[in-house]
Amino acid sequence: MRFDIAQQEAYSRGEFLLRTFFGWLYITVPHTLVLFFVGIWSSILHFISWWVILFTGRYPASFFEFHVKMIAWHMRLNAVMWNLAEGYPAIGTAGSHPALTLEVPYPESLSRAKLLLRAFFGVFYVSIPHVLCLYARLIATGVLNFLSWWSILFTGRIPENWFQFNVGTLRWMVRLNLYMANMTDDYPPFSGKPAPAATEIAVA
Amino acid sequence: MPEAIALPQPHELSQREKDDALAAYLMNFAAWGAGLPIPSLNLIAAWVYYIINRKKSRFVAFHCFQACTSQIPTTLINIAGVGMFVDYVVILNRDLPRFFWPYVVFAAVTNLIYLGTSIYACIRAAKGRIHYFLVFGRWAYARYYGPNAVTLEAAATGQNLPPAGF
Repeated sequence: MRFDIAQQEAYSRGEFLLRTFFGWLYITVPHTLVLFFVGIWSSILHFISWWVILFTGRYPASFFEFHVKMIAWHMRLNAVMWNLAEGYPAIGTAGSHPALTLEVPYPESLSRAKLLLRAFFGVFYVSIPHVLCLYARLIATGVLNFLSWWSILFTGRIPENWFQFNVGTLRWMVRLNLYMANMTDDYPPFSGKPAPAATEIAVA
Repeated sequence: MPEAIALPQPHELSQREKDDALAAYLMNFAAWGAGLPIPSLNLIAAWVYYIINRKKSRFVAFHCFQACTSQIPTTLINIAGVGMFVDYVVILNRDLPRFFWPYVVFAAVTNLIYLGTSIYACIRAAKGRIHYFLVFGRWAYARYYGPNAVTLEAAATGQNLPPAGF
């Protein structure tokens, strides 16, 4: 899995202030409205995928691509709202953002034992430990977002370490989503750092 | 007289087509997936799935069309049952009519038969085979492989066609 956001050299302060004060109105509200309905469709496909994996050991390729695009959409929205990227995030699964990269390798086969393990015990060995750690990390991310806001306002940029930390939080969330959505059998690491080596990429 | 289109054989189909076709029948469980107990949700999901997949390949479109249209009778039966319950109990605040519980049994049996048939069709689709439902199977065949399939599709896309009979 590869997830990255290219850091931009400088921010437009006009757009930045507009997003800060009215972003909820022209970005969050329309995205949330559409995401609500597409989310219902997504949950239907997740449910069906679970049964397909159980009986065939494969994730339907079309569903997989749809879910990767859904995650990319969520990340696009988060990246813009967290001031990690500029520009209006495209609404819909077909959209993209020039600064954001999300590549998830399509698994040719998935373990049915892990599928059942996740369904019945995933809460205990995945959700609880990861959510606890992510909660702490999200607090730190919130603090950095607040500091970044002032940094952008006065200097027009975000310090690279802060930027990478916040991108790492999103990366962690993506990995957790992928695992809990049965899109990979690799247990997500307790880290937001990128994977050491790129694996075979099937879906972008 | 136009000729029917040759049916694809299992070895000619890609895994992706087979997966897309089998998923069409699993839209029967959409209401469970969404967690919304709405009787028409399965039909809506099947229709949305058909709209998304109808241009992918004939094999996929055939299964999506059959899965979608064959849901109409059971959906109507379910809506009638739920409607009757809501009408008598919630709106009119009266006792249910005597035929209500026999109707529920009839609806349950119909749904079970339909689910069984759908699962069988789903397994056949996963193997790249076709299972024809009563009435709807012929309709879907006529729509996607029958002698008029090409004409129907051309008309649907707004293409110019020769006069009838040529």
